[in-house]
Amino acid sequence: MMALLEIQDLESGYGEVQILWGVNLSLEKGRLTSLVGGNGVGKTTLLRTITGTIKPWRGSVRFNGQEIGHLPAYRKPDLGVVLVPEGRQLFTDMSVRENLEMGATNSRARAHAAQNLERVFGLFPRLKERESQRAGTLSGGEQQMLAVARGLMAEPEVLMFDELYLGLAPVLVLNLFETLQQLKREGLTMLLVEQNVHMALSVSDYAYVMAEGRITLEGPAAEVAQQDEVKKAYLGI
Amino acid sequence: MSDILLPSLVDGLLLGFVYGIAAMGLSLIWGVMDVINLSHGPIIALGMFGIYLIFTNTGLNPYLALFVVALAGLLLGMIIYGVAVHRVIDAPHLSTLLATFSVNMIIIGIGTALLTTTPRNIDFTLGSLSVGPITVPWTRVAAAFATMLVTGLLYLFLYVSRPGKYIRAVANNRVAAELMGIPSARILALSFGLGTMLAAIAGGLIATFFPFTILSGGSYELKSFVICVLGGLGNPLGALFGGLILGGLEGLTPAFMPTTWVPVLEFGLFVLILLVRPSGLLGSKS
Repeated sequence: MMALLEIQDLESGYGEVQILWGVNLSLEKGRLTSLVGGNGVGKTTLLRTITGTIKPWRGSVRFNGQEIGHLPAYRKPDLGVVLVPEGRQLFTDMSVRENLEMGATNSRARAHAAQNLERVFGLFPRLKERESQRAGTLSGGEQQMLAVARGLMAEPEVLMFDELYLGLAPVLVLNLFETLQQLKREGLTMLLVEQNVHMALSVSDYAYVMAEGRITLEGPAAEVAQQDEVKKAYLGI
Repeated sequence: MSDILLPSLVDGLLLGFVYGIAAMGLSLIWGVMDVINLSHGPIIALGMFGIYLIFTNTGLNPYLALFVVALAGLLLGMIIYGVAVHRVIDAPHLSTLLATFSVNMIIIGIGTALLTTTPRNIDFTLGSLSVGPITVPWTRVAAAFATMLVTGLLYLFLYVSRPGKYIRAVANNRVAAELMGIPSARILALSFGLGTMLAAIAGGLIATFFPFTILSGGSYELKSFVICVLGGLGNPLGALFGGLILGGLEGLTPAFMPTTWVPVLEFGLFVLILLVRPSGLLGSKS
């Protein structure tokens, strides 16, 4: 197996405040990896550093062996590194269709935009029904579908999800769970960043546990779920 | 009475179109990046001088010269964005106000030194249009048509073209736009350029029927604020309607009271709307 995205000794933060203290994490190709941990341990900061919304202070982010840590956020989708951000961050004043078009901004994805549109409408038929509706008027679940679909329109090599399940009704959680399984079968490399530790560990192949800006535990998801510290701290067992 | 009122109203409404296009520029920049462009007035004045200098030096038809002025306005705005605005774009509003105010002072300073403040006039006429009791110069009618055309093209650009959609995406959610691969800095520069382009076009159109100096843009900038409050900041079509309301008001007021009361009435309205409907009469964006 080869690591598609490799993060080494990554440190970053905001202003004077350091949040990440030497994070090591690697995403194997075709695998669904999860990163779990409580609120405020630095999960979102790690994603922001990977996507380039904030700059790394030290350490490296390598994609396909190439250093990408210094690249600005808008260059990442071109490479195939795509984030479905927390809170969806849709273009609420634009139509569903336009949101999907914006997903296909990068030059690779633009070439196959029509095919990819068919594909995401196949995955989420509801979005096709709502094609010309303003994204801000969709229900919460539909908005989350649109956020995932918009990410897929970018033709990701690595697709990262920040709190995908937050605030969703159980039936929608199940739907998205099935979507993830299908994407995994298609060979997509994914990183699921979750506070919902139980859910994340049950769907993923490999897992990292994060606390206070560091990775404290890693291993196959089923093994991580059996660790005493994880059970006590997150699973309430 | 009505034989005075109707011509005044038509006169005011035609002028209102031009106010509208000026305000649209201010409104677009605010809508996309939450920046109040205080260099709006001088750029309107530069548009006036652009038409004037091209016409008096080459004899080119002012409406053709308008294309040159529009392009120059677009480029100037992108430069102003890059030099003065981008570095403070995420700073509090006071910083962007001061930055654009500095640009305002620089343009007025250079303009006064090079062009003096002697009023200029473009020696150009298309004659007058007479319909019943109404007689209006064709240049005003042409300005109204030009405004409608530019507004139509702006909407087409924003809703159909790819860069236009990027502008709307960046206006809507800049962080998400970056995450989707949209280079937001370039899109912001383009948006600022479009805003100043609209200001320059407004100036160019005004120059075909009013005399002007480098300071003339100031009053249109102030009117633009009133109009934006009428139409809702960040809503270009609202700006056009706001312009028509203000133009109509300006046309009708002198029939009832001395012209000197016009600004009092306008800004009274401004304060009143801010108190009652801060998002604007037609606006929704808070």
